[in-house]
Amino acid sequence: MIDGVVRLKGDEWEIPKGFVPGMRVPARFFLSDTLAALLEPGAVQQLANVATLPGIVRSAYGMPDIHWGYGFPIGGVAAFTLDEGVVSPGGVGFDINCGVRLFTTPLTKADIKKPRELVESLYKAVPTGVGAKSTRKISPSDLTTMMEKGARFAVEAGFGVERDIERCEDRGCMKQADIRAVSAKARARGVPQGGTLGSGNHFLEVQEVSEVYDEEAARAFGLHVGQVCCMIHCGSRGLGHQVCTDHLKTLETATKKYQIALPDRQLACAPLQSPEGKAYFGAMAASANYAWANRQMIMDAARRQFMRMFSLAYEDMPLVYDVTHNVAKIEEYTVDGRRVPLCVHRKGATRSFGPGAPDLPSDLTRIGQPVIIPGSMGTSSYVLKGTAAAMERTFGSTCHGSGRVMSRSQAKKKQTGKEVADRLLEQGIIVRAPNEAAIADEAPDVYKPSSEVVEVVARAGLSALVARLTPIGVIKG
Amino acid sequence: MSFKEIPHTADVKIRAEAPTPDALFGEACAALMQVMYGDDRRGGTKKECDIIGEDQESLLCDFLSEVLYLTEVDGLVFSRADVKLDGLHLHAVLDGEPFDPARHNKGTEVKGISYSGLKISHDAKGFMLEIVFDV
Repeated sequence: MIDGVVRLKGDEWEIPKGFVPGMRVPARFFLSDTLAALLEPGAVQQLANVATLPGIVRSAYGMPDIHWGYGFPIGGVAAFTLDEGVVSPGGVGFDINCGVRLFTTPLTKADIKKPRELVESLYKAVPTGVGAKSTRKISPSDLTTMMEKGARFAVEAGFGVERDIERCEDRGCMKQADIRAVSAKARARGVPQGGTLGSGNHFLEVQEVSEVYDEEAARAFGLHVGQVCCMIHCGSRGLGHQVCTDHLKTLETATKKYQIALPDRQLACAPLQSPEGKAYFGAMAASANYAWANRQMIMDAARRQFMRMFSLAYEDMPLVYDVTHNVAKIEEYTVDGRRVPLCVHRKGATRSFGPGAPDLPSDLTRIGQPVIIPGSMGTSSYVLKGTAAAMERTFGSTCHGSGRVMSRSQAKKKQTGKEVADRLLEQGIIVRAPNEAAIADEAPDVYKPSSEVVEVVARAGLSALVARLTPIGVIKG
Repeated sequence: MSFKEIPHTADVKIRAEAPTPDALFGEACAALMQVMYGDDRRGGTKKECDIIGEDQESLLCDFLSEVLYLTEVDGLVFSRADVKLDGLHLHAVLDGEPFDPARHNKGTEVKGISYSGLKISHDAKGFMLEIVFDV
């Protein structure tokens, strides 16, 4: 382990105050010995830097998929008081409300006689890859409604059913959205990209529930062994990227204006109560809403392909849940015996609300929130449930995925996209992407094993295992 | 081509070299386009942009962010950028062509231009930069 980092117990480690000058609180992270061997010193430094920010409460946290990011490490969580705390785009990321949703079907793997045909039809139905434009007509006024209403915009436009909204974090809408803080440039990028998947690590995957660990929770989530599901991973597209770029600039100036001493320029931030901080928060919320509408439209396109190919009804394919893993939100926690609202930043981390937490659909209040953790291409994804321990220990947060261990250039040198696709096909997994490089970039072995990451959060009690999903067909952007 | 990709775990890191700062900024733009679209990029359609920065690093980030915006909104893939720097003012003429899904599908989307690991330096041999593209 890196010098100066202390093992507390089990998989929990602490970066004590003083590791970098100006730390207001310690930082903690969760790693098994296997994952600790892959830890980058840069990520530890970044997490310690987060602990220097004004108004931070208790500790900065790193999830077991921690790796080097922009400002905050990916897998970073921090909560700030509303009066003295700050908001930072480096704690959210360029892809605001990048997230994951999962819907189920009544099909089993045996029902899919022509898996390649299914993958091809989904690939054609969902605009994918660099430069792909929306097939839906989205007017500038539609865009405004998308940013104000989120998932509800899409449902009201015919891309879903009312129940879908109930199954999104925050019901698919952050009420603090302020569209006045979204620039004309961001809007111009948002109009043609509604309903597009994007590229990089974004994907749409047909999966099978291969194992259930918690029958009661699985039943409540609508999951059973052998069932075919579909998972969608994407975010706020160019609109969110532009909002981040625009506000990083104003917040750089604000950092100086409010005399906030930063160890790293990437942590540009402003007090939550300042005009600059409020403008970023409002624009970020608007982008988050766009992302929920976007995932809703992609799910609609996918559902319609299942309907066409397997004569299913729309209602046969309920949404299990939609989680966001790049966001800052106002949530209430108990600090020093008092309930206080805090601004929780999750950068590559997933909300993990336990039983009884606010915002859960009424039928899941007793169970906890479904937590969806995507695997890398070809490896298992997991459904977990939120826990009371996460509420107490990590501001209701858990991991978000596997975390890369190999650069894209190394990945391409190691193997071609065709070699990766052929190897996956031998395991019965069909991969479709606009180009071979996209497949090599995202090969399974460039990520930490997802099983190891979820085992750590399960052991630490930050979420509990419910089901494992294995891929049948993958669409990569 | 005087830029290359160097290993970075999560994103794409580029090192570029050029004899002048103007050419160095042009190389950074070419690297961005290469990452997004691959190397089959042609000219024919011109686009101009003007940027004022607070320092050289912000000028470079703002310039590349503007290129990202233009490529996405105008649907243009640029093959070349002629950059003229005058202190902290940048004027660029970008030469490109409309996005062609059949030829320009060899790259990955860039979400943003990062200050993370950003270095601009020079020595007796010329000018050098390192920059990370968030993908």
